[in-house]
Amino acid sequence: MARTEAIALPRERQGAAWWRTNATALLFMGPAMVLVLVFFLAPVVITFVMSFTDLATSTGLSNWQWIGSANYERMFRSQFWFTILGNTLVYVAIVLAFNVVVGLGVALLSLHVEPKAGGVFRALWLLPRISPSVVYALMWTWAAASPPFGMLNYIVAPFGLEPRFWLQSDPWLIVILINGFVGASFGMLILTSAIKAIPEDLFRAARVDGANALQIVRRITLPLVKWPILFVLVYQTMSLFASYEYILLTTNGGPGLYGTETWSVWAFHTALANYYGNLDFAYGAAMSAILVLLGLGISIVLLRVFRFGQLVAEPRVEVD
Amino acid sequence: MSKRTAPERTEVGYRLSRRRFLVTSGALVAAAACTTTPARAPSGGVTEGTVKLSAWTIGPDAPSYYRRDNLISAAETLNKKLAGKPTVEIDATFESGGQWGDYLQKFTLAAEAKTSPDVILAGHENLAPWVGPSYIVPLDDLIAKYQSEGGIKDVIPTLWSAMKLKGKTYGVPQDTEARPMYYRKDLLAKMGWSKDKIDGLPEAVKKGEWAWPDFVATAKDAVAKGVVGPGKGWYSRPSKGADIYMFYYQNGGEMQDTATAKLVIVKDALLKHFQIHADAVRNDKIMTQSIYGMDAGKEWHPTVTDGKVLFYNAGSWTWKDWQATYKVPEQSLWDNVGFMLIPAAQRGGKPVTVSHPLAYAVTSNAKDKDLAFRLIANATTPELNSRHSVTSAHLAVLTTQKDDPTYKQDKFLLATQYMLDYTKFIPNHAKFGVYDDVLYRFLGAVEQGQSTPAQAVESAVKELQGQLGDELIVK
Repeated sequence: MARTEAIALPRERQGAAWWRTNATALLFMGPAMVLVLVFFLAPVVITFVMSFTDLATSTGLSNWQWIGSANYERMFRSQFWFTILGNTLVYVAIVLAFNVVVGLGVALLSLHVEPKAGGVFRALWLLPRISPSVVYALMWTWAAASPPFGMLNYIVAPFGLEPRFWLQSDPWLIVILINGFVGASFGMLILTSAIKAIPEDLFRAARVDGANALQIVRRITLPLVKWPILFVLVYQTMSLFASYEYILLTTNGGPGLYGTETWSVWAFHTALANYYGNLDFAYGAAMSAILVLLGLGISIVLLRVFRFGQLVAEPRVEVD
Repeated sequence: MSKRTAPERTEVGYRLSRRRFLVTSGALVAAAACTTTPARAPSGGVTEGTVKLSAWTIGPDAPSYYRRDNLISAAETLNKKLAGKPTVEIDATFESGGQWGDYLQKFTLAAEAKTSPDVILAGHENLAPWVGPSYIVPLDDLIAKYQSEGGIKDVIPTLWSAMKLKGKTYGVPQDTEARPMYYRKDLLAKMGWSKDKIDGLPEAVKKGEWAWPDFVATAKDAVAKGVVGPGKGWYSRPSKGADIYMFYYQNGGEMQDTATAKLVIVKDALLKHFQIHADAVRNDKIMTQSIYGMDAGKEWHPTVTDGKVLFYNAGSWTWKDWQATYKVPEQSLWDNVGFMLIPAAQRGGKPVTVSHPLAYAVTSNAKDKDLAFRLIANATTPELNSRHSVTSAHLAVLTTQKDDPTYKQDKFLLATQYMLDYTKFIPNHAKFGVYDDVLYRFLGAVEQGQSTPAQAVESAVKELQGQLGDELIVK
């Protein structure tokens, strides 16, 4: 006891000691923390706060009022919130599956061919990602234009398919393809590098043991890229929930009654794109707040399903 | 007790001690904080004897550039009157080919940032959302004070009413227009119509002798005879816009209550409005289902200017736009294209069109509101408005324009001016955008076969009530 008292430092000296120990770390982490606070946390807080006001073009920043939960009540009074939620879940699920399956497929295929050819193949898949979004979307709208225009109509003609205005007749197909091809390239990049990082010895050993290509993929490659697949899944899920630009530029949420309107497109239309100029910022913020909660909930589910805790746990065997 | 020693700097010369790092970083941050931004002249600021005024205008149709140029000309006139006390300098912009939504959003953000121009050009209905946050100022006192400036006293009275919100005037009419139903004379001739009958069509429509059932029958006949392809009997507007309300008004619709200024929806008129579109696309097949969302610049205009569609409704300004943008010779238009009001719902009824007057408004950010208004007033003269009218095919806003030599020479303007006697306006209401969005989506739904017209009316009214609450009157 006496010994403890002898080494105890006064409060101010404790603080100084703590500061000496952590100052550099804090200073280095500071800019990143400020960025996270300003660009990630603050917008979420502002969105939630704003959703309880009536802020719109017609109020400006000078004339708004607190209106409690009125925006949320208005949102759920709409006959279409459930349709839009359904659209969102279907859109995210299908595009996500497309992204991961095609991304993984392209990664595996391109790594199983001659390296130079594989590189060219991957570069071609990167084209949608490196094209400016607006240019890429406009190319799709032109390709899917109504007859007699539209490249798609010429492509399907030899198969006996009637020419059509694809954005109207098959809007989901176009929305899924346009987003899918961009997303697949992301999965392809991450998974290619993950597969390349697997020690070659494992593949050689498997081949010596007589495993065929499919068995190698199933027993060695896939278990070892589980973590990157989880990353692609979670990251792409969040991206897709918040993505709106390709839908906006192609179907604009239509045709008709919210045909391809997802939650983020709905929020964008409400808060930032009114034809007659009255932007409903607060109502759009309420929609965005729901989107934040939805994204958060689904992330937690995904992390639990994939046992994120185990994936990032300390290895049981220390390898030096 | 061990003694702490300073690190050997000679051994690790590239290292920076924590103290030095902290001091250096702090000094840099402090220096950055103390640095002033580069000095610059205040935006549009008043310098000695000079007042800089700025203005934003938009077409989006390319030929409407006089919306900007007339302000520049007005500055010259105003400077002569001011005789250097002070001198007005004008910085005016014109957006061609852009989108209204983007333009309005840009102004909203600029207004909040207190960087909006002194003068803004917008549609009359756009002024309503800007009144609440005082982005623009009421002009009644200035109108009274400068009644003799420019052509202010000669503005057509009905146009002033389109500029009012809650009894106050927020804009000066810049132009107006009609939205005719165009028709191809050459195609009607192919169907066996005589020249007299073709040329007499606008008059027959005006008198209510040729009505919507005749329109539909003619379009169906054209498709049946192969004069036009399937779905090319009638092209309506392919995107949002005031035009769609012509068919609602045609069937007895009302949009705003004059006493309360609340938005109005008339269920019976809405049903008929939806029904004629559903019939056109799904039953009579005189309009293609692809019309909804069709690319105006790449499909709609090229198809109609190619003479492949019998009837198509568009703005009066498109007459000039077809010449300027789509390179159709004016004589070819006169030879092959006619224009009439939207036919009455039934014979004996009243035909209709919709006008959408544009207006110059003075913003609350204007440094000198009197000068900003006087600039607008001097841009509102028979000469300047008429040169804009003849260049862009917009109709007169001044009673004196009918006597203006430039205006009088324009055959198209003279031939469409009567349409203003049949015109209706869209509402001046801050929540009109919500109303419009719901009705436009349901119109798409009936055209696409997602709803029957009757279902669409019930759902649309329910949705409007849910979104607008007390601001909606259902009749």
